Amino acid sequence: MSSLALLRVLNETLEQGETAALVTVIRSPAPEQVGARALVRPGQPPLGTLGLGEREAEVLAAAENALAEGRPRLLRYPAWELEVFVDVQARPPELIIVGAGHIAVPLCEIGALCGFRVTVIDDRPQYAHPGRFPKAARVIAADIRRTVRELPMDANTFVVLVTRGHSLDVECLLEILDRPLAYIGMIGSRRRVSAVFTLLEREQGIPRAKLERVYAPIGLPIGAETPAEIAVAIMAEIINVRRGGQAVSLAAERRRTSRT
Amino acid sequence: MESMETIYPVLERLLQEGEVVALATVVATKGSVPRGVGTKMIIHPLGQHVGTIGGGCGEAEVIRAGLDVIQTGQPALVRVDLTEEISMQALGVCGGIMDVFIARWPA
Repeated sequence: MSSLALLRVLNETLEQGETAALVTVIRSPAPEQVGARALVRPGQPPLGTLGLGEREAEVLAAAENALAEGRPRLLRYPAWELEVFVDVQARPPELIIVGAGHIAVPLCEIGALCGFRVTVIDDRPQYAHPGRFPKAARVIAADIRRTVRELPMDANTFVVLVTRGHSLDVECLLEILDRPLAYIGMIGSRRRVSAVFTLLEREQGIPRAKLERVYAPIGLPIGAETPAEIAVAIMAEIINVRRGGQAVSLAAERRRTSRT
Repeated sequence: MESMETIYPVLERLLQEGEVVALATVVATKGSVPRGVGTKMIIHPLGQHVGTIGGGCGEAEVIRAGLDVIQTGQPALVRVDLTEEISMQALGVCGGIMDVFIARWPA
């Protein structure tokens, strides 16, 4: 299989949000094996060959294990004087922006810049169109609540609720509150958020502990005012959560006061 | 360290345009090094490199080796030693060792 054909499949796989690993022989007593590459993907037969003969299956099985662990790894086989590098390409984190208004535009740009695969959702086609979000992987113009309910999300997903109306934000929040997401942020002033959360607790019986994980008010306290500045504050908060940073979110104050 | 800023789409585009380049990949590290395992850099014959494995003299060494790899087509495993002479003359030194595999694309 040619280098270019292998690369194409690799990039297509990553584009679809799947993982893949490029496997390369980097040391071998047989010089013609050095540089041989193959591609492994979960649940699919390997593409290309390392030219290792009867050892091939064992090495590719080890490469598939490394892929499942999600980290690049150097496989060493001292007895065979063989070393194989498994370049695992982890799935990029997902940023789902619910609402295609003023903040969504710069947030999509900054999210893509930081390596996120960005999805934008809105029910207004004049807002939710690819021309407005050139860096988005997906722009979905459909019923917001139903889309949020049906979209696959996991622990690699960061969700930002910035729809045109606060009640719509809350409806979407209730759709995803029980999912194991990396981050849920919701826009709204301090007063508004605290009033809404009190209502949710009293009238809908939603436990306070569940609401604690929501980042609302959204973003790090950097005094952001314009949509671009707010997008920076939101993205900074997401990076802080993802990398285990030391910055203190605006939402920390709400959590503190709600416990007393 | 994860390699999130994926270089493979760039590599695909270059190959598509008929370029012949070298891809350098950090495959092992020891001690204190600027970038982790899986970090990649494209070495371009005319100097239009993409990405960085940390900069400094270590990177210059890898670029030199990469240009050879482009010429010969022979892959190379280069050990970048950043441990020697931490001094005022070598401020770029981090104190560790990186093994970098360099291959030509297309092979």
